[in-house]
Amino acid sequence: MKLQTVVPPDRGSLSVVYSCPACGYEMAMLTNAYETQVVQSLGVRIGPATDGVAAEAGGKCPFPGMIPSSEGTGGHRADQPIAVKWTAAAEARLTNIPEFVRPMAKIGIEKFARDRGSLEVDEKILDDAKQFFGM
Amino acid sequence: MKGYHDIVGDGGSRILEQVAEQRARINDGLAGVRHLVAVGSGKGGVGKSTLTLHLAGALRARGLRVAILDADFNGPSQARMAGVQGALFVPGSHKVSLPRTSDGIGVFSMGSLISESASLEFASTAPGESQTWRATREFALLGEILASFEWGALDVLLFDLPPGTERTVQYADFLGPQTSFVLVTIPSEVSRGVVARSVAALLARRSLGEGGSKGPNRMLGYVENMSGYYCRDCNAIKPLFDAPKQSTLEIPCLGTVPFDPELARRCDQGIPFAELTDTPVRRALNDVTGRLLETLS
Repeated sequence: MKLQTVVPPDRGSLSVVYSCPACGYEMAMLTNAYETQVVQSLGVRIGPATDGVAAEAGGKCPFPGMIPSSEGTGGHRADQPIAVKWTAAAEARLTNIPEFVRPMAKIGIEKFARDRGSLEVDEKILDDAKQFFGM
Repeated sequence: MKGYHDIVGDGGSRILEQVAEQRARINDGLAGVRHLVAVGSGKGGVGKSTLTLHLAGALRARGLRVAILDADFNGPSQARMAGVQGALFVPGSHKVSLPRTSDGIGVFSMGSLISESASLEFASTAPGESQTWRATREFALLGEILASFEWGALDVLLFDLPPGTERTVQYADFLGPQTSFVLVTIPSEVSRGVVARSVAALLARRSLGEGGSKGPNRMLGYVENMSGYYCRDCNAIKPLFDAPKQSTLEIPCLGTVPFDPELARRCDQGIPFAELTDTPVRRALNDVTGRLLETLS
């Protein structure tokens, strides 16, 4: 099944719609807004731990060739900052930042890298940032 | 296909276990902190944040290792006052490094990340119903911050609390009995009245009993802020409020601190405590710090 769309909350309920790329059969996961929000507000993950299971399951998907890449075709828009890549080690460190503030922190670090002429965030850039801010 | 009642437990989410694990991570992250001190009031606009920063500066000037956690996520002011606006949150191999002031005070403030023209927003599946979940989400975020940042070995970690009597009690519940409280008021009847309610609300937690993770918090005392204003021209303290001299708050007074317009200006510019000239206000802050340390020891 392929993620088809996520319907924005309608009267508080979120709909996550999946479809079969072959026959178009659709299936939706509907959330109870209040239960989901209250539990999520505890800052916990919902659902069983995957521990790599998802990656394995991905390999067994019968439709891998039919699902277009979510990466897009690239291309840089003038009104957007140039994309910065993260090395695996730097990305692993990024997960130490609380999830809520992670996107904002990531933007700041990428700007720090760009300002120094680098389009890649590696552990050295992170260490340089620490040093720069006297941490 | 399994029905709802066929699912054992919570479907593998381990909600209760995750909450317990979060608490363990918080305790682990704060293991090197000697004193946890929350600076609250109940009343807004009495100078909690300014006093917190100056207490931190005075403690630091005495050689102590100090950090501030700006717990006012919705109205953070420490980033600007401490001069760490725009500081990055940089992840280390295990924890996130804490931004520091030029005189070495660690500061966490949402104001480092969010500009003053933006507000703190959480993604939600229940928009328009934030009264049902927002406080829970904010406390979960506080827990994540306590667990994720590198607090290290500290003599004092100061929490700059948001206003509101009910928020003061909620922080007492969340932070647990190992956190002591300092309350801030100004010499107006209105402020003293609100702070008296906070004192009553915190004292009511005595019913939780001593010991355990949910016992009452120690109240170190209160500080009367803006007790007159300091006139630099005549080097004297002049009256600011027409209120009875004596407060009736049932906790010890740690001292009084006059308002200094020059000090307020320096706060806006993020000038550290160490660079303040020797004035009656600085001496008053030092006196409060001395009493705070005596009370803590």
